[in-house]
Amino acid sequence: MRFLCIILAIPLALSAQEKEKTNPLAGKPEAVAEGRELFRQSCAFCHGMDARGGARGPDLVTGRRTHGETDAQLFEVISRGVPGTEMPANEMPEEEVWAIVSWLRSVRAPSPPAAIGDRANGEKLFFGPAACAQCHMVNGRGGRLGPDLSRAGAARAPNYLAQSIRKAGADITWGFHTVTVVMPDGKRITGVRRNEDTFSIQLMDASERIHSYLKRNLKEVVQEERSLMPDYNERALSERDLQDLVAYLESLRGR
Amino acid sequence: MYSMRTILVIYAAVAIASAQAPVPSARLLNAAKEPHNWLTYSGDYSGRRHSSLRQVHAANVSQLSLQWVFQTGSSIRLQVTPLVVDGIMYITAADNKAYALDARTGRTIWRYTRALPQKISALCCGRVNRGFGILGDKLFMATIDAHVVALDAKTGNVIWETKAEDYKKGFSFTVAPLVVKDKVIVGVAGGEYGVRGFIDAYDAETGKRAWRFYTIPGAGEPGNETWAGDSWKSGGASAWLTGTYDPDLNLVYWGIGNPGPDLWGGNRKGDNLYTDSVVALDADTGKLKWYFQFTPHDVHDWDTVQIPVLADLDYEGRTRKLLLLANRNGFYYALDRTNGKFLRAKPFVRVTWAKGIRADGRPDVIPGTDPSPEGNYACPGLGGGTNWMSPSLNPQTGLMYVPFREQCDIFYSAESKYREGQLFFGGTYEDKRTERDWGGIKAIQPQTGDVKWEFKFDKPTVGGTLSTAGGLVFTGDDDGYVVALDAETGKDLWHVGLGSPITAAPMTFALDGKQYVAIAAGAGLFTFALPER
Repeated sequence: MRFLCIILAIPLALSAQEKEKTNPLAGKPEAVAEGRELFRQSCAFCHGMDARGGARGPDLVTGRRTHGETDAQLFEVISRGVPGTEMPANEMPEEEVWAIVSWLRSVRAPSPPAAIGDRANGEKLFFGPAACAQCHMVNGRGGRLGPDLSRAGAARAPNYLAQSIRKAGADITWGFHTVTVVMPDGKRITGVRRNEDTFSIQLMDASERIHSYLKRNLKEVVQEERSLMPDYNERALSERDLQDLVAYLESLRGR
Repeated sequence: MYSMRTILVIYAAVAIASAQAPVPSARLLNAAKEPHNWLTYSGDYSGRRHSSLRQVHAANVSQLSLQWVFQTGSSIRLQVTPLVVDGIMYITAADNKAYALDARTGRTIWRYTRALPQKISALCCGRVNRGFGILGDKLFMATIDAHVVALDAKTGNVIWETKAEDYKKGFSFTVAPLVVKDKVIVGVAGGEYGVRGFIDAYDAETGKRAWRFYTIPGAGEPGNETWAGDSWKSGGASAWLTGTYDPDLNLVYWGIGNPGPDLWGGNRKGDNLYTDSVVALDADTGKLKWYFQFTPHDVHDWDTVQIPVLADLDYEGRTRKLLLLANRNGFYYALDRTNGKFLRAKPFVRVTWAKGIRADGRPDVIPGTDPSPEGNYACPGLGGGTNWMSPSLNPQTGLMYVPFREQCDIFYSAESKYREGQLFFGGTYEDKRTERDWGGIKAIQPQTGDVKWEFKFDKPTVGGTLSTAGGLVFTGDDDGYVVALDAETGKDLWHVGLGSPITAAPMTFALDGKQYVAIAAGAGLFTFALPER
């Protein structure tokens, strides 16, 4: 095969009139084991071996299931697919679908514990002393050098947010890598790589100015292995302030 | 109601069409002698994708300018190589659509649509099609719902249609047919759905099937023992790219796809013939003359559908009939095409799964690179060191131009059960995101596998190549640039952004004394030529 690009969302629309089905295998450990095998055969290709998601399908363990949360909804999504997406219908016997539902239920992460910090103080830090807003935007306020965080709480778990603040380069969001271009006279400009192709490159510098170059006019393009965001270690941000900041970010679910 | 202008356009188009001579098989045999036309998917039977047109050359290629664009209006990218016959261009597009265009203007002469079945989900990679075959006054198209149709080249009317297999069981066609003598040869797709693959030949006149070669030997046939139990019945071995043909040997060469399930081999112990092989078939009977397997018992989805390029070259002191193939598994191979004898192999991209290829042609596999439940890293990645993008070979430079991909994956396996018409993949894979992927074009010395030059693209490429006697290699990249490279040095001589990834190979033709270069980008077809003076 060529490239498999089956992009799956798990969207789903369950008709409200339909009577909610119940999982006849609920609570049976053998169904969970069987479901895991079936999932790996039929679903892992897009959703990953452990349903943690991948480039093609969403995380079904910790992610928000936009199209179904109840057993009956999951059953419908799996068997009928989601029209308008690349989630296909699956013609498998009902008990196999229920087994997959049982396994998904067993690996579903409990809701992460609510962040314990002071959200209001976190917001003050964000727009004030911690200077996050210099580069990050929330609901239209702030800078645009770094990722927009208006949905940070919906998209990322609190421990991920905390780790990203302490060590920004641990996982750089796609589209926010650092690059340095070197002019023929040796002058260097560093910024966030906004676009690059075979013949050109565009980057945004710390003052949010966009620079565009044809590579043939540059001496060198250096791909940096670091984030432009500073690491907020404990001297820069106390543990307590970190908790507050995470509490604020965790509350951001978009508008 | 038609406007007067529409009527005039149709009238003019019909006038051009009726001036066309039919294309008997003698013209296909001698396709290289009429370089103003492009009569088969790869330009001629050899798969060299080289044109003797030289009006556009290294010194003037920078002046190429846009002539016309044809937009299909689809959201699915074209993978087609157009045919051009005496001023008319024929293309196929996604969703069982096809068009005849005035090659001078891109205006539509006729269009053809074959209704898509209500439910056609058993497809790994989109409802694409790579082009027509032609013979006499008929065009042949293999459809996504596993039929072969013959159209009247003048009108687009259906002359015959034949069902090859049931699409509901996962069979489909994306291939451009290869026409040899009076037969239309096609290979099936569906390697991710547990099909048992085949290559079919149909009588061009009647549509009746003339022969079928199963790409997995049946019970009792030699090679069937390379499959454990009944695994051969759902072992994949599709054949979804167009093969090549040697008229002197009367052999058709065809690359065979991966075994299924793709990433888990627990149910199919053995070499799994003829997956990941090239087969040489008698063109008249479909009987197997020889085979060579590149990746025995593949578990990385490394189809060997790549186009087998045929060339008679000086090899260690004597002229030999060679078959040249840069394989998805990352190695470049040279074989003797009279008997399938292995001559040489050399990696052309980063390879981590094998130390090399042994004297008998088998890979020296490095343990711990097969997919596992926990995941194992291997280069090339699932997309391969190359894939369906056409290579080309220039007899003047003696170089073979190979699109390549530097990209690796972590491969995961999962035990799988076959279910008719359902995805049968056996695991999953992910790109190691900390690595930057890239690709490009390499100029390979065919006899040695040595790389003379390479041109880098920012991303792994999926565009094919065209070589011309103007000393040029045309290709396109994933950022949508169409590029002309110097065939000797790899220097970029011209490029222009077409705004959508290029997933097809360029071709060239001439009309009114003007050489055109055509390439599909996105769902549009773009043509270029030198400005008129």
